[in-house]
Amino acid sequence: MSTEEHAATPTEASEWPLEPTNNFAPGENNFIKVDNFKFFYGKKEALHGINLEIPSRKVTAFIGPSGCGKSTLLRNFNRMNELIPGVRHEGDITIHGTSIYDPSVEIIALRRRIGMVFQKSNPFPMSIYENIVYPLRIAGQNTRSVLDETVERCLRSAALWDEAKDRLNDSALGLSGGQMQRLCIARAVASRPEILLMDEPCSALDPIATAKVEELIIELKKDFTIVIVTHNMQQASRVSELTAFFYLGILIEFDNTRKIFTNPSMKQTEEYITGRFG
Amino acid sequence: MYKEPAKPHTLTNFTTALDQLRSSVLRMSSLAQLNLQNSIKGLLERDDDWCNNCIADDEEIDLLEMQIDHEGIEVMSRFQPVASDLREVISSIKIGANIERVADQAVNIARRARKLNEQPELTELHLLDNPIRLSLTMFDDAVRAFAERNTELAVELKSRDKELDLLNKELTDTLINRMQDDSPNLPSYLNLIFISRCLERIGDHACNIAEDIVFAVSAQDIRHLGKQ
Repeated sequence: MSTEEHAATPTEASEWPLEPTNNFAPGENNFIKVDNFKFFYGKKEALHGINLEIPSRKVTAFIGPSGCGKSTLLRNFNRMNELIPGVRHEGDITIHGTSIYDPSVEIIALRRRIGMVFQKSNPFPMSIYENIVYPLRIAGQNTRSVLDETVERCLRSAALWDEAKDRLNDSALGLSGGQMQRLCIARAVASRPEILLMDEPCSALDPIATAKVEELIIELKKDFTIVIVTHNMQQASRVSELTAFFYLGILIEFDNTRKIFTNPSMKQTEEYITGRFG
Repeated sequence: MYKEPAKPHTLTNFTTALDQLRSSVLRMSSLAQLNLQNSIKGLLERDDDWCNNCIADDEEIDLLEMQIDHEGIEVMSRFQPVASDLREVISSIKIGANIERVADQAVNIARRARKLNEQPELTELHLLDNPIRLSLTMFDDAVRAFAERNTELAVELKSRDKELDLLNKELTDTLINRMQDDSPNLPSYLNLIFISRCLERIGDHACNIAEDIVFAVSAQDIRHLGKQ
């Protein structure tokens, strides 16, 4: 089966139920465009000609079994995979029509536009305040009023202000797991990125902390384009509007989340989400 | 189109729970089919014993309806089914409710039959032969469509329901005319009209079951298509 057959553009939620949508058709509001993208770890081809268009200010979930390439694709959006020796790519990824591989694109500037949150929260061993202003300080911003305003804005965005406002100078390492992850989200939005990448952001959190992060994701999509990798099917169905299912480095299906979780077009998707895979 | 059952889940408990739910629906269907046949026997053979059996056995069907609801809720709470599994659970619960109503119609027929059996036999009783045959076949086919996940058979039931509706209307008109000429037997004619109405409702429930089967198997919603 060719990769073209797997690529899909999401359909409107109101049109459910729909005929299968497996044709690659560019849309007008699509923000991140992945164009016949292949990625290699040495000789191993991890992504096989992915075609995908992610719309702006929506939550798009990547699902699939371990090793299917979802995190690999996510980490290509901010070129993080280039830190790994022996990797190479073919095809292109564009953001707002500009290739992220264009020689004029500076990687640091690119990563400033694309915030990232990881599976395990990674606060720096410094105060809550300094964690959040860190991206601003390394960009040369040291004006106290600007930093204060940023801390409050980001902590409010991350629904952490009420819990942290009286302990801003305390070590971030003293926060709970869920608070630390929300602090990392606050830090990720401090540099006002356009895109937030989340790689299994709740997999180490308890259900209450997970619910708070999910609430936060839904709130943040008003301002950011969010792409989330998750192994939690219920989480994908709760927080995302669009879902892409990957298997063995191939994009099997990309459609409205509601369609994917009620009536997926592809048999592999159905078997995966219903727990019959393999 | 007949659809093979899906592959087993990685989680065998999930497959077991879904199989149990399906098995409860099939068991309830068999009991409802039997009860319906008993009520018809009581009517056509003018035998109150069959009618009493039907009325007494309805309780087991009511209990099975509740059991199916509980099993469906348990599957949803324990396994959070999605896609075809979710449709199967939702449809099973709805099908259970429709089977229970078919069984209620069988009880209504049995009660009317007992009243008819107290009176002299009317030759018009056999005007019910066609509606009886059609409604019983429709319900049997709805159960078969569920057992086989047969969407073609399910879709076909909708056209047969229109035929049953027409038969019910014609029969009602005929019996109203007879009532005018034979007023001493008016209560019996009324009972025949009510029984015809029960048979027509059984056809409606068979159609509802068919619609749920199509939704469970193919995710298509074929309800109310004529009104769109």
